[in-house]
Amino acid sequence: MKTITKFLGAACVVGLGLASTLASTTALAQEKVKIGVSIPAATHGWAGGLNYHAEQAEKRLEATYPNLDIIVVTANGAGEQANDLEDLVSVQNIDALVVLPFESDPLTVPVQQVKEAGKFVTVVDRGLSLPGIEDVYVAGNNPELGRVSGEYIKDRLDGKGKIVVLRGIPTVVDEERVEGFMKEIEGSDIEVLDMKHANWNRDDGYEVMQDFLSRFPEIDAVWAQDDDIALGVIEAVKQADRTGEMFIVGGAGMKDIIKRVMDGDELTPIDVLYPPSMIATAMDITAMKFVSNAAVEGRYILGATVVTQENAENFYFPDSPF
Amino acid sequence: MTDAAVHAVNPGIGGEVRLSGRKICKSFGPAQVLFDVSIDLHAGEVHALLGENGAGKSTLVKILSGYHEPTEGELVLDGKSISFADSEAGEGHGVILIHQELNLAEQLTVEENIFLGREIKRGWFLDKTAMRAEAKKLLEQLQCDVDPRTRIRDLSVSDRQMVEIAKALSKKADILILDEPTAVLTGREVEILFDQIRRLREQGVAILYISHKLDEIKAIADRVTVLRDGRHIVTEPVVDLSKDDMARLMVGRDIKQMFPHRVSDTSAPIVLSVRDLSVPGQVRDASFDLHKGEVLGFAGIVGAGRTALMEAIIGLRERSSGTIERDGKPVRIASLQDAKNSGIAYLTKDRKGSGLLLNMDMRPNLTLLALEKFGNVIVDRKAEEAALEKAIEAFDIRAADRKAKVGDFSGGNQQKLLLAKVMETDPDIVIIDEPTRGIDIGTKSQIYHFIGGLTDRGKSVILLSSEMPEMLGLSDRIAVMAAGRITGILEGNDRNEHEIMRHATGISGQEGVSVHE
Amino acid sequence: MSSLERREASASPRFSIDFKALGPFMALVVLFVLGTAINDAFLSGGNLSNIFTRAAFIGIIAVGATFVITAGGIDLSVGSMAAFISGAMIVVMNTLVETLGPGLETVLIGIVLSIILGIGAGAVNGLVSTKGKIEAFIVTLGTMGIYRSLVTYMADGGTLSLDFEVRGTYRPVYYGELLGIPVPVLVFLAVAVAGYVLLNMTPFGRKCFAIGSNEQVARYSAIHVDRVKTMTYVIQGLCVSIATIIYVPRLGSASSSTGVLWELEAIAAVIIGGTMLKGGYGRIWGTVVGAIMLTTIGNILNLTDAISNYLNGAVQGLIIIVAVFLQRGDWRRKKSK
Repeated sequence: MKTITKFLGAACVVGLGLASTLASTTALAQEKVKIGVSIPAATHGWAGGLNYHAEQAEKRLEATYPNLDIIVVTANGAGEQANDLEDLVSVQNIDALVVLPFESDPLTVPVQQVKEAGKFVTVVDRGLSLPGIEDVYVAGNNPELGRVSGEYIKDRLDGKGKIVVLRGIPTVVDEERVEGFMKEIEGSDIEVLDMKHANWNRDDGYEVMQDFLSRFPEIDAVWAQDDDIALGVIEAVKQADRTGEMFIVGGAGMKDIIKRVMDGDELTPIDVLYPPSMIATAMDITAMKFVSNAAVEGRYILGATVVTQENAENFYFPDSPF
Repeated sequence: MTDAAVHAVNPGIGGEVRLSGRKICKSFGPAQVLFDVSIDLHAGEVHALLGENGAGKSTLVKILSGYHEPTEGELVLDGKSISFADSEAGEGHGVILIHQELNLAEQLTVEENIFLGREIKRGWFLDKTAMRAEAKKLLEQLQCDVDPRTRIRDLSVSDRQMVEIAKALSKKADILILDEPTAVLTGREVEILFDQIRRLREQGVAILYISHKLDEIKAIADRVTVLRDGRHIVTEPVVDLSKDDMARLMVGRDIKQMFPHRVSDTSAPIVLSVRDLSVPGQVRDASFDLHKGEVLGFAGIVGAGRTALMEAIIGLRERSSGTIERDGKPVRIASLQDAKNSGIAYLTKDRKGSGLLLNMDMRPNLTLLALEKFGNVIVDRKAEEAALEKAIEAFDIRAADRKAKVGDFSGGNQQKLLLAKVMETDPDIVIIDEPTRGIDIGTKSQIYHFIGGLTDRGKSVILLSSEMPEMLGLSDRIAVMAAGRITGILEGNDRNEHEIMRHATGISGQEGVSVHE
Repeated sequence: MSSLERREASASPRFSIDFKALGPFMALVVLFVLGTAINDAFLSGGNLSNIFTRAAFIGIIAVGATFVITAGGIDLSVGSMAAFISGAMIVVMNTLVETLGPGLETVLIGIVLSIILGIGAGAVNGLVSTKGKIEAFIVTLGTMGIYRSLVTYMADGGTLSLDFEVRGTYRPVYYGELLGIPVPVLVFLAVAVAGYVLLNMTPFGRKCFAIGSNEQVARYSAIHVDRVKTMTYVIQGLCVSIATIIYVPRLGSASSSTGVLWELEAIAAVIIGGTMLKGGYGRIWGTVVGAIMLTTIGNILNLTDAISNYLNGAVQGLIIIVAVFLQRGDWRRKKSK
């Protein structure tokens, strides 16, 4: 009796599967254009801003273009994001994908799969590890961000001093920034005591900085690369009571740091922009492909503006979550 | 004491009825186990409940104490119809049941167990001093010298039973029910228990005593009710029934001869020879021979080291010295596997804890010890089932449902299954430890005849038992152990209770204090 | 006596639905119906293929776990073990690219390494818990920490990535298909069948049941308890290897967050499937259904915006509790037994 019911159960499932495969292969002509947007969940401040801007763009685009259906999904890790991509293609039947990969290496092949399934692919910010997969690439200017940060530190320290560097999540973004930075300070007497990954998050920034502070008795400047990291660094430095010793350069334009720059904080003299609203840029560009006759394929690199006390006002948005 | 003397002391029959069951019927699903059973428990009287395993005794007393509800019929307490929601309600009304299976928490201490659920408190906190004192008092009453701070898991089985009894006594029963309380007690402890029972009887407690040990019933009970197959057979004063009467009423038929007729051949070759075997702390320099076709009994009081000796022989226990020879050739037995290969099988005395897998049905239990017989890569189900059918027939295992879990079987059937399991390995020597503990008379006789059959076929048997009639009725020779040593091997006319007790206690001339007279 | 026992023995009612046996299957059918109701693309070939492929990782590991749990043990280290093995595979294969090139040999060596590590890790768990007489829970808790920190060390806090050319060679193991069925699903099926045969039809499997049911009885039945138990851990380790071999080509990376909580998912799959946590009763097909169920739940939650993704874990936990509760079967019986 037991085995028969097992067989029945299995047969049911298989039967249902086969029946529906037949049904779904005859996909009706879509009236609506579906755009899937896959981004990391808000594990750090920048990603929070990202999510906010993505949702704003979704509302705006769907209101303006009634034949657009935008689906935003978030993932907590590379594996989950790979699952999301599969589901967007198989279940939601998207026409185009806008994706900000959690990590470059592991997501390269899954995104490639989406491309091979015939979808239009836009990659944002963190590039893939293999070239030529995406149709559109939107990013901030990572090498430039690294360069201007390096330039500022070099000038401020007169080409001589000891610094520490905190890096982000191991992705193309992080590598490009560091490359730009290192090129800029090449040849000078700036000594990089150590570089460690702080994954663009406040807690990691705090821990890594604490570690640096206990290992290095003399630090002239900190390149935190990112404002979330910078906040963690500020706490650690305050706790060690060494605020007079150094200054910190962050990045991305978080409103707390912009405020400090505006107020002339000694600890954080400047900031460099890397706006999370680039996701909205990507979504708009992708939508253009389907609602207009404009040519959109290509690389869009946004500028990396240096924010100083003079111009900080222009970049201060107190309503944004970031 | 003669039967008449016992009753001259206490003409308890006649106290008012405290608790009655009227026309009790009980069914579990479609299976009916009790049919219109009525019973009256009088104050100041010991009422025995007699019956084979499966007769319904335990079910009836569980109904009387509130564990089960009757499907039909009613309970009457002090003249008023009553229904117990659960056993706690029963205890609230003064009906206390001492279970057959020990209900103690292993990791807790004696005093904690005695007061479990009814702890003495001082405001918010536990009053440990009061509880310890009370526990000590109860144990002293039972002449049990166990320290109340001992954990249950460190106690012997008979001590645990005493703790159970102490627990029940502390609950101040009006009606006390004991379910097979002496299964694990020694003779001395049984006497102590009986003293307590007599004391309670004098105080007017109504006592219901379940047993199938006819000697005990003769010694302690005033009235006896016999159940058979869930039905009430008779209720009579104990004086009016002989042991044979009681046995016949229990079984419903004449028991043919209890023990098999055996012919022993003293000149048979030696199949097993043990010399100077020691187990640190348990056995010292044990030596004996076993002849082909004989039943060698091992007697001794609990703790004398018999089980330890046997476990050392079969490789389950480490021994510090000693040699073993099989058919004259030395063998190395370091594991149960070695013993199996040497043709020695061991039937444990703890059939539920070490013998059978209670949550499985018969087939996997039967073949577990002899798995290699049924296939090396894939187990041959058909062969297993064939073996099961053969075993059911050969050992008369009564089970209509082949898929029933062994844990649901009666003790007798379990024991027969265990015997079948051990025999699957086709051993030459079988060591049987307490084969009929907690088993009714009919099945006992069957098992004795099986053992007789074994020796008829040329197998040799070592029998460990605490029941004198069994030991005397089956053994060709009897080895007696005391404090880890073999104090004597009795043959011929020396095989009697007096000699056994003398060797078992190491004191000459002391009269046995057992009730088995 | 005889007639009474006969009646006692066949006390179970005739027309009861055996929840224990059928429960998991019925639940799975219900889930599928639910999924289809929410979004009819649920039953599309693509989605079903995704579900079964994703279920394969946890499922293969869970088959190994069924053995361990049936014999009365537990293994908490499987997720970390998977992370460590994938990390080691990647490191070794990357090193070999220079000498052997990115071809089949490199991949095969990686696979062999995985199997050796899995069996070794399983043996360590087994031997330490049996010979060392330490509770399996503690031992595997320890090895869980060890393996995870080893992979974090190997990845230097970041991620280990497999060389892209090797990935190309290795791809078909995850993304390939045979007769329209993804390779991981075929491997899952093979492992399940082998597991079923081993557990239910061989003497070894019988011994596992016996040990989990009552270790004392097993000992008294001349079973080498330590040996059999160690073997179950080795089988678990081997299953982890096989799952890792299939997992690596999917993302081609390993980091300290790989395989986190896989052990709990594997154990959950085993329990939902009907195997008892205390041992003595194990069902391979139940485990398979359990793994598929867990994956399906995650998939269904993604289909609807009604419940946030973040609550995935909560829903899974709830389902596990309900599944075990229904399984016990004795909610039908009242207090009298």
